[in-house]
Amino acid sequence: MDAETGIGASVLRKEDARFITGKGQYTDDISVFGQTHCVFVRSPHARAKINSINTDPAMAVDGVIRVFTGDELVEDGIGDLPCGWVVNSKDGSPMVSPPHPPIATTVVNYVGEPYAFVVAETLQAARDGAEAVEADFDILEAVVDTATASSSTQIHENAPNNQAYDWELGDKEATDAAFENADHVTELDITNNRLIPNAIEPRAALGSYDAASSTYTLYTTSQNPHVERVVLALFVNVAPEANLRVISPDVGGGFGSKIFVYAEETAVIWASAKVGRPIKWRADRSESFLADAHGRDHVTKAQLALSSDGEMLGLRVKTIANMGAYLSTFSSSVPTYLYGTLMAGQYKTPAIYVETQAVFTNTSPVDAYRGAGRPEATYVVERIVETAARELNMDPVELRRKNFIPPDAFPYQTPVALEYDTGNYAASMSKALELADSDGYAARKAASEANGKLRGIGYSCYIEACGIAPSQLVISLGAGVGLFESAEVRVDVSGSVSVMTGSHSHGQGHETTFAQLVSDRLGIPFDSVNVIHGDTGRSDYGLGTYGSRSIAVGGSAIDKALDKIIAKGKKIAAHMFETTEDKVNFAEGQFSYEGSNEPKPFAEIAGAAYIPAVYPLDELEPGLSEKAFYDPKNFTYPAGSYVCEVEIDPSTGVTEIQKFVAVDDFGNVINPMIVEGQVHGGLAQGIGQALLEHGIYDADGNLSTGSYMDYTMPRAADLPDFEVDMTSTPCTHNPLGVKGCGEAGAIGSPAAVMNAITDALGVKDVPMPATPHTVWETIQQGA
Amino acid sequence: MKVDLTVNGSQHAVDVADNALLSDVLRETLGLTGTHVGCDTSQCGACTVHLNGSSVKACTVLAGQADGGDITTIEGIANGDDLHPMQVAFRANHALQCGFCTPGMIMSAIDLVQSADEPLGADEVREGLEGNFCRCTGYHNIVKAVLDAQANM
Amino acid sequence: MEERGEFVIPAHPQEVWDALQKPDVLKECIDGCEEMTLTEEGMFACVVAIKVGPVKARFTGTVKIEDPNPPHSYFLDVSARGGAAGFGSGRAEVTLTEVAEGTRLNYEVQGTIGGKLAQIGTRLIQSFSRKMTRTFFDRFSRRWVG
Repeated sequence: MDAETGIGASVLRKEDARFITGKGQYTDDISVFGQTHCVFVRSPHARAKINSINTDPAMAVDGVIRVFTGDELVEDGIGDLPCGWVVNSKDGSPMVSPPHPPIATTVVNYVGEPYAFVVAETLQAARDGAEAVEADFDILEAVVDTATASSSTQIHENAPNNQAYDWELGDKEATDAAFENADHVTELDITNNRLIPNAIEPRAALGSYDAASSTYTLYTTSQNPHVERVVLALFVNVAPEANLRVISPDVGGGFGSKIFVYAEETAVIWASAKVGRPIKWRADRSESFLADAHGRDHVTKAQLALSSDGEMLGLRVKTIANMGAYLSTFSSSVPTYLYGTLMAGQYKTPAIYVETQAVFTNTSPVDAYRGAGRPEATYVVERIVETAARELNMDPVELRRKNFIPPDAFPYQTPVALEYDTGNYAASMSKALELADSDGYAARKAASEANGKLRGIGYSCYIEACGIAPSQLVISLGAGVGLFESAEVRVDVSGSVSVMTGSHSHGQGHETTFAQLVSDRLGIPFDSVNVIHGDTGRSDYGLGTYGSRSIAVGGSAIDKALDKIIAKGKKIAAHMFETTEDKVNFAEGQFSYEGSNEPKPFAEIAGAAYIPAVYPLDELEPGLSEKAFYDPKNFTYPAGSYVCEVEIDPSTGVTEIQKFVAVDDFGNVINPMIVEGQVHGGLAQGIGQALLEHGIYDADGNLSTGSYMDYTMPRAADLPDFEVDMTSTPCTHNPLGVKGCGEAGAIGSPAAVMNAITDALGVKDVPMPATPHTVWETIQQGA
Repeated sequence: MKVDLTVNGSQHAVDVADNALLSDVLRETLGLTGTHVGCDTSQCGACTVHLNGSSVKACTVLAGQADGGDITTIEGIANGDDLHPMQVAFRANHALQCGFCTPGMIMSAIDLVQSADEPLGADEVREGLEGNFCRCTGYHNIVKAVLDAQANM
Repeated sequence: MEERGEFVIPAHPQEVWDALQKPDVLKECIDGCEEMTLTEEGMFACVVAIKVGPVKARFTGTVKIEDPNPPHSYFLDVSARGGAAGFGSGRAEVTLTEVAEGTRLNYEVQGTIGGKLAQIGTRLIQSFSRKMTRTFFDRFSRRWVG
């Protein structure tokens, strides 16, 4: 292997060459001949009955080509936007998923829900047209608040108590018994604030229809173009799957929000055939705030049962999860199978019982956002563990160490369904404490106090289940799709390699990481590997990128395809060596045979594969191109220890993060530079959640934080330098021993920050985000 | 209205609407799609370009206001294959992930370094980039890159 | 959104009452009012251009006087639409009380706003409406002073 480009090397990214020169091709950068522009007409009301929509004044606007309402889509057989994961309630009944037409027809249920769209020659004309559409609404009472939604006015006819489902996991009786035997019970009521993902590239779509071939091409900002295609074909009925090509070109960040199948691309691709011209749409930012799925928004009551010496005996968690107005694509799985299953954390807690009531409100749909369920779970576990330590007058580090699942206990079956394959939590903790200079904390705290400041330290030891995931397991739990990944490794005649992957890169650097994997295994130059992704016309299938699954699942699929390439290469080489394939070795790019002193480089075998002179064609097909589908046996379980140190100015309530240490165990790492970058980004979003970000609706259901003037995005000066390091227990069930790193930072960090803030203030809880105002008020209340 | 713009050294006489934004003219009329638009309230900075040597948010400048101006976009800072030190530093320090904020970030960073009287420290870089959002990197490597580039500018 | 306040106007309640019914007086006193017409008894149609922070729009609306009890009290039902900028509606109770300096006018408004105005301008709307009200009564009172 090449030490500079192989597995484990911090290779600089291939894709950067275009991004730093402005040559990236994002959806809105692509224009096609004859393209028209589209603007959506969105509900200004949180909940209203649509009496009538008058599109005539819009049609009269110069440049407007067509105005569509939801009825036209319905008449054309366009289906509802589906939720792809059926979660059952405690009583076995399936969740309630209210009808969700892409374009509203009879009712609107959140501010921003589209009820018409205008196609025009120019964007300006489309905007003018959208403004001219007249609608008559009966405004209805809106439901906004998560905690009281189930006792409020019923929104959907088929959802009594505004409930989507009431789900449970774990052994209730065993948990009750654990509480009966407990010496101490720690209780914590916490909320997980609603977040708005805010990838810096707004969502966009460019749809066109070719009448000559009856095919549709959709360029869109999707994290999973194949899933987009199958949903649009199979559920929404836009076109037969074979006639639909979905391309996700460069995508400017996703963080979950670009997984889902939304109204806009559905409308654009459908209407392109009606109009007979390509249609482009790009969200304005204030539109993104309303129209992108939001994240988090939980209200939780948690109880932890302990023995007097700090042994964790049982955990009870009862959560109300706000789903927004409709069930978005994967929303149902987030506060259930991606949440309740993580309640064991890194601990041996023997009895756990989790209940989640999912409720509808007249707000934007809530779905997966970086971490998806796992940040919420970590927040519950790590906040209550820290609180318990304080109540028991124990060092929070010691309490955690006492309860860690020990390294020799793996594979470890938790009481909440998951089987962790490997881990060494104490190792990460020790490394984190060392980096955080925990021994010097007392002196730093004293120095802060001398300056009239409050100092606090907080820990968070997260675990997550990612590398999503084994198909048969998730299908048995209600998922409507498999969660394998596909890969094709196409060796060219000259020995260069094209890799088609079903994973999609929107910042993760797959073009580099996957090329490292291929060049390392085939022993060929890094630069002769070209990674292709994001186009249903070029790769067979794919489930896309989310749940930190690209390397663990997509990378393993590539690895499997490489096995096949090497196996076929050996067969070809065997004929060239005039021996049998079992006598051929492949290492460092050379096929060798002990009976020959002339090993054959990979490129020579590639050439021979396409110029089939020496091998019998009835035994071996020409060519060297292999496909593989990889379905993992289990999730992967990245885990880590985070330490946060804050200093608070009591006169202003301003919190400054003075130190943030993250030590993660991602198993084997292909490109440490990229992995560290992923951690940095996750930390920024987690710290943003803890200190700054909050999606707020007013009582009427208007999104008060609907622009960057009111939704506080973390800026450079809001964040500290991060100290990031790693430990490694390789994953035991995938061929690369990798785990996945995309979400860890966002999962582990909020609890660390809030544990530090509550430590500094000497209070049990401060609601997120801990803005200066909130912190200042907390201080005043205590004074 | 007719507007004369010098963009990346080339002269353009373009006919634009009175309300046309510089960002739209760069992207739509001149095809310079490296200048990105990430918001509608002049906060995200993805559209940052240089107008007469200073960074401006192109989504907040009317094309008419730039009449006669000398504009540099991300496409214009390299000298052929010779990348600008800021571009080199961004790649070398992994200061970008999805790449969408990158052009604006680089243009802001160049102006920040060029207009500083003395070498900037990390805190000053953080303060100086307050007009540019990045959602991917947590800014950690961006700060490193700017400090790194500063030494070579 | 709720708002209440009072102003003292240097005129007799009946004079205040009469003036408040006149479209031209209302037009003159409402900042940004471009049109104000009496469409039927107790019913006005109006066009008002406003700017709240970054949201700038021309609102068309109706104002309806309900339960008039001259010259003591009435209710105002207001609804206005500003296209893409949003909409507003509200109900105000206005009472006039004779005091030594003239008339004390009390008002109590309950209103809602929506659309872009609510999304972008919500932080500013309270101070905006206070300023708008103050401007109205400043101009209105000036009819009787100097």
